[in-house]
Amino acid sequence: MANEIQHVQLRGLSHVFTDGREPLHVLDDVSIDVPHGQFTSIIGPSGCGKSTLLRIVCGLLEPSAGTVLIDGAGPHDAQRRHDIGIIFQEPALLPWRTVAGNVRLPLEIGGARQRGTDAEALLDLVGLSEFRDYYPYQLSGGMRQRVAIARALAVDPTLLLMDEPFGALDEITRAAMRYELLRIWASQAKAGARKTVLFVTHSITEAIVMSDRIIVINGRPGRVVADAAVELPRPRTQEIERSAPFLDYADHLHGLLVGAAV
Amino acid sequence: MNERLRGILWGVVTYGLPPAITFAVVIGLWEAYVAWRDVSILVVPAPSDVWERFFDDPGYFWEQGWWTLYEATLGLIAGSAVAITLAVIMAHSRTVERGLLPLAIAMKVTPLVAIGPVLIVIFGFGTTPKIFLAALLCFFPMLVNALTGFRDVDSGALEFMRSLRASPWSIFWKLRAPSSLPYVLSALRITYPLALVGAVIAEWFTGNRGLGFVVYSAAQNLRTPELFSAIAVLALIGVAINIALSLLERRLLFWHESVRSTR
Repeated sequence: MANEIQHVQLRGLSHVFTDGREPLHVLDDVSIDVPHGQFTSIIGPSGCGKSTLLRIVCGLLEPSAGTVLIDGAGPHDAQRRHDIGIIFQEPALLPWRTVAGNVRLPLEIGGARQRGTDAEALLDLVGLSEFRDYYPYQLSGGMRQRVAIARALAVDPTLLLMDEPFGALDEITRAAMRYELLRIWASQAKAGARKTVLFVTHSITEAIVMSDRIIVINGRPGRVVADAAVELPRPRTQEIERSAPFLDYADHLHGLLVGAAV
Repeated sequence: MNERLRGILWGVVTYGLPPAITFAVVIGLWEAYVAWRDVSILVVPAPSDVWERFFDDPGYFWEQGWWTLYEATLGLIAGSAVAITLAVIMAHSRTVERGLLPLAIAMKVTPLVAIGPVLIVIFGFGTTPKIFLAALLCFFPMLVNALTGFRDVDSGALEFMRSLRASPWSIFWKLRAPSSLPYVLSALRITYPLALVGAVIAEWFTGNRGLGFVVYSAAQNLRTPELFSAIAVLALIGVAINIALSLLERRLLFWHESVRSTR
């Protein structure tokens, strides 16, 4: 459908880092279309340029070549509209602010459009109401990442960018946070319209459990080597990880990632 | 005896006793040496002589100390204000940084106390030369620390704010300024004593009051107990400043590892 406006449209993105001793070519001719409301994972081994791709999408990094369109305009317009919510591997909270203060931070940043969700409601959503007056150093890693999720949702963005958000968590917390994030994501849907998510990960399980679609990036420089839909019913629960279709997807992805790296 | 009182007492004993013993031993050895070798009071007075002189007229020493502290504090405020203002500008412009840093470093490597006599020529004998020298000595450490602090921000938090198109103004007040606080406070631990040095030295050259003047005139006239009393008051002022800054750090930096790890 050529006339349908994609939420995120990436065309011929290439990036070369030139600030090192030798130019480092990290992305080569990446073109991806993401429709509204899709949960898309970008999976690849370390160093394949997937985090760079995410930074280009949100306008923190200018690509060496190619274009980024978010709702048909450049990423800086989306920034100005407060249309992007970012979550990094590290929660990156302000240590001198309480949990509630951190969640309110984005609302204090002047944007062209002032909108926002009630910070208290967000804290409730991520299960941290009782901890509203705590400081980040008093929380566990998983709780801090919940604060980061609430903070990203505070401006009610339509596009969520997540860069290995559970990468710094222990395996047990991580397994729980996947379904927790899916629950939060589902609850944020408005009039049936879900937020679009671009989710960078190197966990195969995580990609399958969470996504509608998985894009595999591999090689140096990174290129899109596979782009597949995940047709598992939602809402998804932990049982899904033992289902036959899940294992098929996992086998397939494993082949694409590990096979190509050897 | 309740638990809390017991804890406080135990703290006083474990933290207060060792330095108190060291102090007592040093003073005792000094007193004993002076008595044993019969050292002239014109060269080195015994601690008891110093004690006697001080309590002969403690108000005099406190008053002179107050002047020195006053000049040092005004110098500290002036020097820090200029340094922090320049650090803010330099944090936002590499060009300004390249233009100003060599001058700042030239100031740092010059033994600034050498310009003391020049200050009399420029500013006369009032309070101004003391404040000026104190400010000069404070300037560089504060500039470098504040600049480092404004730049040492969490990159994730910075990118988060940039992804919302936060203005440099809002990034400064919400992120850079609080991030620099640990650096600014640790600079104060260096610069406040330096400001005292600046004030005391300027008082040598141009003074008619302040502890620097007391030290200078007492040395000229071989009134050594008076000289050592003035030095003791200077040391006490230094200790008081350090304690005050520690309390300030605990209050302002409750969130920072440096404070949390000492609890």
